[in-house]
Amino acid sequence: MNITSREKGSNAMITITVNGHQQTLDVPSDMPLLWVLRDVLDLTGTKFGCGQNLCGACTVHKDGKAVRSCQVSIGDAAGSSITTIEGLGAKGEHPVQTAWIKEQVPACGYCQSGQIMNAAAFLSANPDPEDEEIVRAMDGNLCRCSQYVRIQRAVKTAAEIMKTGGAATNG
Amino acid sequence: MGEQFNAAGIGRRGFVASVLATGAVGFGWGVLPGTGSKGAAMAAANASFSPVNLIEIGADGIVTVNVTKSEMGQHVGTAFAQIVCEELEANWTSMRIKHVDSDPKWGLMVTGGSWSINWTFDALSRAGAAGRQSLINAAAKQWGVPAASLTAADGKVTGGGKAASYGELVAAGNVGGAWSEDDLKKLTLKPSNSYKIIGKSVQALDIPLKVNGTAKYGIDFKLPGMLYGKIVLPPTRNGATAKSVDDSAAKGVPGFVQALSLKDPSGKFTGLVVAVADTYWAATRAAALVKVDWDLGPNAKVDDAALIVEAKRLQADPNEGATWVRNGDAEGTLAKSGKVLSAEYTTGLNLHAPMEPTNATAELKDGVWHLYGGNQFQTMSVPLVAAALEVDASKVVLHQFWLGGGFGRRLLGDYFIPAALATKALGRPVKVVYNRTDDMRLDCARSPSWQKLSGAVVDGKVSALTQDVACGWPTNNVAPALLGDDIDKKKKIDVFAINGADVWYSFPNHHVRLLDNKLAEATVPPGYLRSVAPGFTVWALESFIDELAHEAGADPVAFRLAHLDGAGANDKGAQRLAAVLRQAVARSGYGTKKLPEGTSFGVALSQGQERAAATFTACIAEVAVNKKTGKFTINKLTVVYDVGTAISPDGVISQMESATLWGLSLALYETTTIRDGAIAAANFDGYTPTRMSQVPPLDVSYIATGVFPTGTGEPATTVIAPAIGNAIALASGARVRALPITPAKVKAALA
Repeated sequence: MNITSREKGSNAMITITVNGHQQTLDVPSDMPLLWVLRDVLDLTGTKFGCGQNLCGACTVHKDGKAVRSCQVSIGDAAGSSITTIEGLGAKGEHPVQTAWIKEQVPACGYCQSGQIMNAAAFLSANPDPEDEEIVRAMDGNLCRCSQYVRIQRAVKTAAEIMKTGGAATNG
Repeated sequence: MGEQFNAAGIGRRGFVASVLATGAVGFGWGVLPGTGSKGAAMAAANASFSPVNLIEIGADGIVTVNVTKSEMGQHVGTAFAQIVCEELEANWTSMRIKHVDSDPKWGLMVTGGSWSINWTFDALSRAGAAGRQSLINAAAKQWGVPAASLTAADGKVTGGGKAASYGELVAAGNVGGAWSEDDLKKLTLKPSNSYKIIGKSVQALDIPLKVNGTAKYGIDFKLPGMLYGKIVLPPTRNGATAKSVDDSAAKGVPGFVQALSLKDPSGKFTGLVVAVADTYWAATRAAALVKVDWDLGPNAKVDDAALIVEAKRLQADPNEGATWVRNGDAEGTLAKSGKVLSAEYTTGLNLHAPMEPTNATAELKDGVWHLYGGNQFQTMSVPLVAAALEVDASKVVLHQFWLGGGFGRRLLGDYFIPAALATKALGRPVKVVYNRTDDMRLDCARSPSWQKLSGAVVDGKVSALTQDVACGWPTNNVAPALLGDDIDKKKKIDVFAINGADVWYSFPNHHVRLLDNKLAEATVPPGYLRSVAPGFTVWALESFIDELAHEAGADPVAFRLAHLDGAGANDKGAQRLAAVLRQAVARSGYGTKKLPEGTSFGVALSQGQERAAATFTACIAEVAVNKKTGKFTINKLTVVYDVGTAISPDGVISQMESATLWGLSLALYETTTIRDGAIAAANFDGYTPTRMSQVPPLDVSYIATGVFPTGTGEPATTVIAPAIGNAIALASGARVRALPITPAKVKAALA
């Protein structure tokens, strides 16, 4: 991947693993992971929504846990393993993605990368959730199209798929 | 079909099309140039065939539908492909969609008003039918047999023991004849009972891209050598100017280029300062360090209260306002009535806040300005950008993307202007991304509304009703050419500030007046927000109908049905509205289900967006109220539409869920204020749309009788607030007349 130097002599090179590929980046250490992913690494599947941990559109996995990439500086992410929507399933066939298609979840779709990443991390920790647990886990992810009925249903469907053999290849 | 529901002499395409189609902008038949006479254009061998410009059939058999509507969550392209596929008799797996740029050849380009399917169903059906007939004719010629002996199905023409796929026929180069409008109109379309793909819940074509991160929105677009801009937010929404700009502190940010103070000849921005850098993050850091000496402009002291003062002043003046409805003599009847009920209803400032913050990228290439970003109203946005750049509209092209939410925000193309002007100033492509605060505080928000209704009942029926509506008119800001004439042909009227008040109830004396709150327009130039005027006119009217029913001592459902007699201009529509109400009654258990004390059903009806393209809609809300605290719980929302024909049943349900919950959000959770001439909300902590934990049980369903299809994306939004408000009033006696309805307001109304 083509990494552009953005800042002259400001900081040490930062090493990070993104979707299984180790990257060495020369960017300001306080640059949010969100903008490194989108503007430096061209991984635009991760979305900018609020910049303040209020909407969840920028959710990625950091060492397997869901984080808001607008709140994690690249300096703090150094040495970690990041998974974005582009790396969730080899061919976009992670059980959560499969469930999202089956239940026809996305409307405008803009928040869905974040919803899917949040749901995938949640299910890997809690593979057989109750409805209330799903609501609690997903409540921080805003969907302005209000596809909440479908999101909730699709998390259940994903759990079923995972139970019946579709392995969760959570990154 | 469809036309019979036209009470105002406007075709089913409604008001916008009737204005624009008679002007320079045609309506989308998609007729190719030079087709005044038959067969002017012949497809080149091994290329593709287009009976009209809406569809292309390739030599590989792939059928591409050129989608002129924006995709913002409705899966509109999928529905278009289904409509074409049905008449074309293509194989569903061969269908593709392409969202096109703003070329004038597409005619009127606007996506809103829940119009898309209603306006294009006929043209798309005929495009498909024309393609099928041309392919049959080509096969007939090739095989030397009469066309009538051949049939088309599943992407093949067959007959007399022979078969050829559409791709083979196109590749042979014999499919000729672009179709003229006259010939298109002569085609006979299928009866709805023979549909194969219309009425099927196909998988939406845009969804796979939206689960793996590959769907590209405007914000994801990049050009080589592009710079990034971040707005330096002015302290008031409108009217502030930058006296001086000091970017010396920003120069310490690596990658910072400069702060631009830009003059906008279109007038949409009075003071526009953009910090430019080589990354968006650097531009964001720099913008925070740019010091601007602002002149706050004329609106710096305006707040919500000032707008209500102005609204009341307008309402008190009988010479003010344009007339939308006048039956009989409402004022005269009320003056002679024994008891007159009067009530004031309000809605606050409401924001679009699409999940994809507004953004755009601009580039000047070979003398043509290319703008990249999702848009809902290319027909108006192109000339707006041209005015800002001071170039001819023919030198501006808008390139379409998936929209990360529209809800009406992207009907106004003002967000292209910062990118366009920054690009012009620097001679390099610039992408300007609003952060969430910019997006909220520069929104073309829905104007606050203030309404006064008065009415009387005699013998259990409404004897007279007046509805005076005061708000900022969105059309004055977004598309002044779309202002209509009022019924007296004396004054201009913004139908998008008053639609919904022209109900299907028979009221012998009925007067509806629209007042133009210019102070609201100057302070926060308004836009169209999902469900548009019926979002507030129906809120007030359907709440007040319950107040009148209460006065009459009547059951709210029976009271409504008594006024839906279908007399005169209300014929056909009133009956369909009554039918959705009866269906909602049956599904919700209204009148049969035993409810505990403090729990009630509440009812509201609506025609959706406008009489001329009505989607008849009913909601019954079941709500439990705690009479001590004012806290309430929505036990269930039952919503029923009459959609005529459902193209994709699951697509309709998805839109109904979305519109219902948007309505819930406006009813209970969303509003902000105007403070010192600025929009107060800054992010999703101050402006708080519905989250998953706030979603009540829903029962959404529709009636499809096989008549002309109507829109689905907005109608439910209009009925949720009044249904909930009516349920709360019946359960507790607390009538809340200001949105959003909160426990505190219910408690105050209980006291």
